[in-house]
Amino acid sequence: MIESVLRATLLGLQLGMTLALIAAGLTLIFGMLDVINFAHGALYMLGAYFGTVVAGQLGSFWLALVLAPLMVGLVGAAIEIFSLRPLYDRNPLYHILLTFGVAIMIQGAIIEIWGAQSMQIPVPDLLSGSVSVGPVNYPVYWLFVLAVSTLLIAVVWLAIERSDLGILMRASAHDTEMVSALGIDVSKVFTGVFVFGAVLAGVAGVLLGGSRSVHPGMGFGIIIETFIVVVIGGLGSFRGAVYAALLIGLVTAYGALIAPTLTDLFLFAMMAIVLMAKPSGLFGATEAA
Amino acid sequence: MSGKGVGRSHSSTTSGGSVSRRQLLASGAAVGGTAALGGCLGSREDGLTVGFALPFTGTYALLGESIVDGFELYLDQRDGEVNGEEVELVRRDTEADTNKGVDVTRELLIKERADAIVGPVSSAVAMAMIQPIETESSAIWFNANAGDYRITAEGCPEYHFRTSFNDWQTSAPLARFVYEEIADNVCLAYADYAFGQNSKEFFKEAFEELGGEVVDEVGAPLGTDDFSPYLGDIQDSGAEAVYSFFAGGDAVNYVNAFSSFGLDEEMTQTGSGFLLANDTLPAQGASALGMYSLLHYTTTHDSDRNRTFVENYEQLHGGSPNVYACQGYDSAQAFVDAVEETGGTDPDEMVDSLVEMEFDSPRGQFRFNPDTHEPIHNMYVREVVESDDGESVENEVIDTLEEVEGPAWGCSN
Repeated sequence: MIESVLRATLLGLQLGMTLALIAAGLTLIFGMLDVINFAHGALYMLGAYFGTVVAGQLGSFWLALVLAPLMVGLVGAAIEIFSLRPLYDRNPLYHILLTFGVAIMIQGAIIEIWGAQSMQIPVPDLLSGSVSVGPVNYPVYWLFVLAVSTLLIAVVWLAIERSDLGILMRASAHDTEMVSALGIDVSKVFTGVFVFGAVLAGVAGVLLGGSRSVHPGMGFGIIIETFIVVVIGGLGSFRGAVYAALLIGLVTAYGALIAPTLTDLFLFAMMAIVLMAKPSGLFGATEAA
Repeated sequence: MSGKGVGRSHSSTTSGGSVSRRQLLASGAAVGGTAALGGCLGSREDGLTVGFALPFTGTYALLGESIVDGFELYLDQRDGEVNGEEVELVRRDTEADTNKGVDVTRELLIKERADAIVGPVSSAVAMAMIQPIETESSAIWFNANAGDYRITAEGCPEYHFRTSFNDWQTSAPLARFVYEEIADNVCLAYADYAFGQNSKEFFKEAFEELGGEVVDEVGAPLGTDDFSPYLGDIQDSGAEAVYSFFAGGDAVNYVNAFSSFGLDEEMTQTGSGFLLANDTLPAQGASALGMYSLLHYTTTHDSDRNRTFVENYEQLHGGSPNVYACQGYDSAQAFVDAVEETGGTDPDEMVDSLVEMEFDSPRGQFRFNPDTHEPIHNMYVREVVESDDGESVENEVIDTLEEVEGPAWGCSN
């Protein structure tokens, strides 16, 4: 029993931190650009596919972990500059339709290029096998994923709260006109935020691509969970996204222990309750300007 | 890839049901296709029409494409002709959706006047197709993948011929191998939906009949990404072996997690062949080594017939054939044989011909049970081993269960 709970806790934390990586981008993009980015799951999926290709061609997982997210960043830049930018002053419905379309296009391209069958990123020998964590055996790779994603989230958190760049990002979101008047090119900040979100999703894609199957449905699979995270955490709130991601991760993991078929129901019920009790999300009111 | 000799190209037909006839014909014409053109001018008297009701988009797209590729290979070997008549292939996307499946089936039967329907992949779609096909009774239905036994059990449809397998065949016959060679106690782990539940029930029934004990049953929802909570239950069961039904991405996630957690050192993994299939093994890699499974077709199966099939397939389509391609190929064999033997496409005459038919399939000798129209074929117990180049893994056939038939499901003639 203790073993099961410990295993579930480790899994929940790992799920939570990787979800946070994806949700962070989604919530930052919403917070600053006011865009609900439906293509975010597709960017995560691209990370996994680019990771598979880089790891396969160059034979190095580590290169994949660095290069693949940067490649996703490039795709993100293209999406922001060529498709989103002309639509910023339109009704949000346009953003949703556009990014949804982009997500479908990316999925279609992936099926054309790599086919529909499952793939996986080969994990380096250093990270294969399992180690004992207290009374349970746990795969080294899964612990690695937990460590890397936690570290990244911590760095991003600090950067947003403390660095000049973080202040600039928050200022641009708060009062675009004022920042612009101060001589700063806000459109560059917007592109930067979108690319940054894309890179984080790409990292999550590579990390999870080593433990989960990489397939063309994974983008739409993850976007739903990520949305629940962002809604519960509060749209636009980075802090909220991280806490909510951990909550969702743990609920998913414990839920699988107790009632596997009801786990999704738990998640949606939680979202419904949060929406009824505090529509702006747990941390929405304080940060979403 | 070339679609030569057969009126169709590989350009993707992603716009679903609206894949227009014009589009199809255009692509057929583009590769010098032949048969389609006559049809579009309104005269449908000449030639044979085969309608594919298969998923060409979504999760099961690969399966749909493979079935068509297999079917095409056989026609290609016959120069696209049967009895001197051209064969027109009409593809319709079911999108693995029940309603859509019924719509395209009706369209193929009534508008396209198909002589045979090939498909679907999903059993839920197949259940919904029974009624339109039986009501029209104008075409033979070659079920090239949907394996749920209830398609036969609920009404023994007259025009339904399973050129694939049923879920009893890919589960129950493995029980004896597991009981005699591996362990007398197992834990069952399965994807918690109709097909997974059927498979584990059939296995359980057969295993207990032999005197084996099922220690625990662990169901995981379809589309599970992280199996660690379920692996905990499997490990705690203390069983010496596990029998599993998972397929596709679930199979990859399950097998990799099973080995990552070191369960492969404590218990022997066995399962239906879809757990360790051509489309999952590359992603499973070394994690799958030493696992056993049961299926009716294995690409590496050592027979002259299969080697020829694999070579021809690779030549035409590039890439080795999977079990779905074999099912498509055998659908074509059955169709062509029936047309040739009856000299036409009268469905009732074709039924009479099909129930007596026996042909040489890449999987071995193949015939239909005259009462159930279920396949009678060999099932192969396979073990995952390192391939000769040492770089990848593959299935090696270690035991052949001959002429596996299965229950009659209350059907009789």
